[in-house]
Amino acid sequence: MKLANFDQWRRVQRRTAFVFVILVLCSLGLMGRLVYLQIVKHGQYSEMAFAQRMRPRVVDPQRGSIYDRNYKTLAMSIGADAVYAIPTRIGDPQGTAQLLAPYLSLSAREIEEKLRSETSSSVWLARKLTPEQARAVRDLKLPGIYLVERPQRYYPNGTLAAHVLGITGIDNQGLEGLEYYYDEYLRGTPGRLAAEADAAARLIPGGDAAFQPPVDGLDLILALDSVIQHIAESQIRAAVEETKSERGVVMVMDPHTGEILASAVYPAFDPNNYSAYPMNVRRNIAITDQYEPGSTFKFVTAAAALEIGIASEGSMFYSGSSWQVGGGTIRNWDGRGSGNITFRQALERSDNIVFAQLAVEMGPERFYPIIRGFGLGSRLGVDFPGEGRGSVVAPGEVKYGETIRWATMGFGQGVAVTPLQLLTAICAVANDGIVMRPRFVREIRDSHGRLVEKFEPEPLGRALSESTAKRLSSLLRSVVVNGGGSQAEIPGYYSAGKTGTAEVPEAGGYGDERISSFVGYAPADDPALAALVILYKPQTEIRFGSVLAAPVFREVMEQSLNHLGIERRDVR
Amino acid sequence: MLTRGGKPDILIFAVVIALLSVGLIMVFSASSIMGISDYGDPYHYVQRQSILAGVGLVALFVLMRIDYHVFRALALPGLILSFALLVLVLFVGQGSGGATRWIRLGGFNLQPSELAKFAMINYAAVYISTKRERIRGFFAGLLPLLVILGVKFGLIMLEPDFGTGAALVFSSLVVIFAGGAHMGQLFLLAAMAAPVVWQLIAKEEYRFRRIMAFLDPWADPTGAGWNVIQSLLAIGSGGLFGLGLGRSRQKFSYLPERHTDFIFAILCEELGFVGGAFVVLLFFILAWRGLKTALRAPDLYGSLLAVGITSMIAFQAMINIGVVTGSLPVTGIPLPFISHGGSSLLTSLAAMGVLLNISRQGKS
Repeated sequence: MKLANFDQWRRVQRRTAFVFVILVLCSLGLMGRLVYLQIVKHGQYSEMAFAQRMRPRVVDPQRGSIYDRNYKTLAMSIGADAVYAIPTRIGDPQGTAQLLAPYLSLSAREIEEKLRSETSSSVWLARKLTPEQARAVRDLKLPGIYLVERPQRYYPNGTLAAHVLGITGIDNQGLEGLEYYYDEYLRGTPGRLAAEADAAARLIPGGDAAFQPPVDGLDLILALDSVIQHIAESQIRAAVEETKSERGVVMVMDPHTGEILASAVYPAFDPNNYSAYPMNVRRNIAITDQYEPGSTFKFVTAAAALEIGIASEGSMFYSGSSWQVGGGTIRNWDGRGSGNITFRQALERSDNIVFAQLAVEMGPERFYPIIRGFGLGSRLGVDFPGEGRGSVVAPGEVKYGETIRWATMGFGQGVAVTPLQLLTAICAVANDGIVMRPRFVREIRDSHGRLVEKFEPEPLGRALSESTAKRLSSLLRSVVVNGGGSQAEIPGYYSAGKTGTAEVPEAGGYGDERISSFVGYAPADDPALAALVILYKPQTEIRFGSVLAAPVFREVMEQSLNHLGIERRDVR
Repeated sequence: MLTRGGKPDILIFAVVIALLSVGLIMVFSASSIMGISDYGDPYHYVQRQSILAGVGLVALFVLMRIDYHVFRALALPGLILSFALLVLVLFVGQGSGGATRWIRLGGFNLQPSELAKFAMINYAAVYISTKRERIRGFFAGLLPLLVILGVKFGLIMLEPDFGTGAALVFSSLVVIFAGGAHMGQLFLLAAMAAPVVWQLIAKEEYRFRRIMAFLDPWADPTGAGWNVIQSLLAIGSGGLFGLGLGRSRQKFSYLPERHTDFIFAILCEELGFVGGAFVVLLFFILAWRGLKTALRAPDLYGSLLAVGITSMIAFQAMINIGVVTGSLPVTGIPLPFISHGGSSLLTSLAAMGVLLNISRQGKS
């Protein structure tokens, strides 16, 4: 070997040795790194890894069902697929959004925005998918897009009792109606599943898991009878459409218990698709909104007059063509006077002048407590959100013109009530003078059917003596037999009640619109049901409650009493 | 042409078999969940890997018997062929994530850059052993080799495949260095190349973000830092003895590339520090025996070839483990003999065959 070659060979040896030293250092460095990561940092890193896997997840409870008094299902929870995304798993948000858009009720742009969300690890894209939608999304097999079954609220009867039931939101939370009022009972307690999951939140087989099962919500059993509810709804619908009214209300109540057997508002809405309806359509105005009752209020004035003793059935009154009182003028609906008439006739004919005189004679001090005794002017404590209070002025509250104000209150002007209050008040007449607290829910049961709470009928107080109630009842029967309520008569069931054709207050007085109504009960001598019918702003030529509302009352009551198996008696 | 007599370095052989066994076990463990979800077959990935390991072993045994000097004659044709394939892959290649790295060849993917590594090392060894002392000259010595290396690296970067390109440059430079290139020239060139390398890194946003993520992975834990963080969590979870074979948790879709580039993290999670250190040790033994083979080689060509092959495997392993342990920026480079992936496994085993042949002819 030549010298030069020898030199080169030595150099190769030297440098190879150098490479070896580098590799030794690298190996030692990596070993040191492993010691650091696996021994020094072991606790911290394994805890972090565990924490990212053990993602506690909420397990939805089943929201309680709502049944009518005969256990017919009004609201239930069903499983429906929901689709969610894990943004970090999606490579192409734009393309993914475009593929999904045709199957969801969202635009591609909206979806893409959600997919690009950086604030949360997963985002909901849509819930309550139809089976077809769910299948289409599943078939796309998009990375980062997942389906999960979640319980969703379903109202099997569509619009039936919608105003009573209310609505639930996207997280199954009660938003309106009984769903809202009883949300605490219905919603149940979510369970928690803490389990090891992979990055796409799928469970790791054989992983650690701790499961705390959800407690399903409680069921409501309503006083509502869905047959009577259906009768009420179809009747008010027909009446509203026929009279071209703005809206209509029918309520049916058991006068002895205060149980609400039907509460219908038309136009109706479908709680399965509530967002398609404006919010004011969803209001249960029978509970929440007050109105001037007009002549239907006369039974309250009559009750007060009898109770105080300033009038009896045969007391004579004079009704002129008009009556000047307290700086105002009272007129009858036909602008004519009836001359000398009895108290009974005044109620039958719904004579404003006589009732104004009665109110003035009683005066606020005596009249007011009786009005309040009926539960008017205060909330009754019905189990429903947003109950209206009504409006009854206290004695002395009106500074100028108190006399004319109280005179008009005698025939139902200048006083406001909710439909529920007026019906509850006439129930007191039918219930020997005792006011019962109105109720929607009879019982609360758990998901196994065990009774959790039972609501017994609850008397709120006595509005009238038993004898006054009986006397007034016979007078209200006369209204149907001899007076304006003749269209409310039901063969064999003998109804009693009072008509009303109220003027609708506007700014600065009363306008041209009317509210036609009838409130009553049957059978008169042994009341089984009470009902109130209201038609708001009918557009027909004749708008009297006696003509528009009384026949609706008759139909609803006849069918309902029939349904309940109340026997007809011989027609007298 | 066949080498008769002469014992191969049995330690090299044993280490290769050990690494190969660890590799198949780990590929199965890391890929079975994925195999089920992607193909409905937990053995999908390990089956392919086993076939390739078998083919690779056959290549190893054949090459162990063929006198390595035949590659001396094949140096230029090999270089030209590898250039041709590197150009071809740019046109007909396939790959993932916008890169074109493979040529489909009868059910398997041929990765020209893998062949390019061996061709380059072999050519450099032939070049230097032919030039001998003249390698210390610049224009007639070092420059032509660097130009060839540069063009080759450039072609690989067009795919792009930074990891393989880096391995190619690294192992070739080790051969040039060991071959006796003038240190002053090397330093000068290194100083001139630094800005270019920086440009290459800074130009591609994803590469730049990876560098940044390496410095502080927790700055972007769900983006650029994800791989490194998940890898660190896997390794850290392992502790001293690991969670037990097959009991990795990070393989459940947390750690990307868990059966390929990041398989070492799963290994550390399941087999602990004991397992991880054992693998590092195996590679170290391989490097030690490889360089020993170089020093015992019958001629300069054999020495340089052995240095090149050894450094190719050793540095690839060090870089991979460096990346997986968060000690180096993320670069797609497989762990030799262990990561799932055909071309890398075949080239590595074939190269081991050549190395073993050199060891058989070694002076005692």
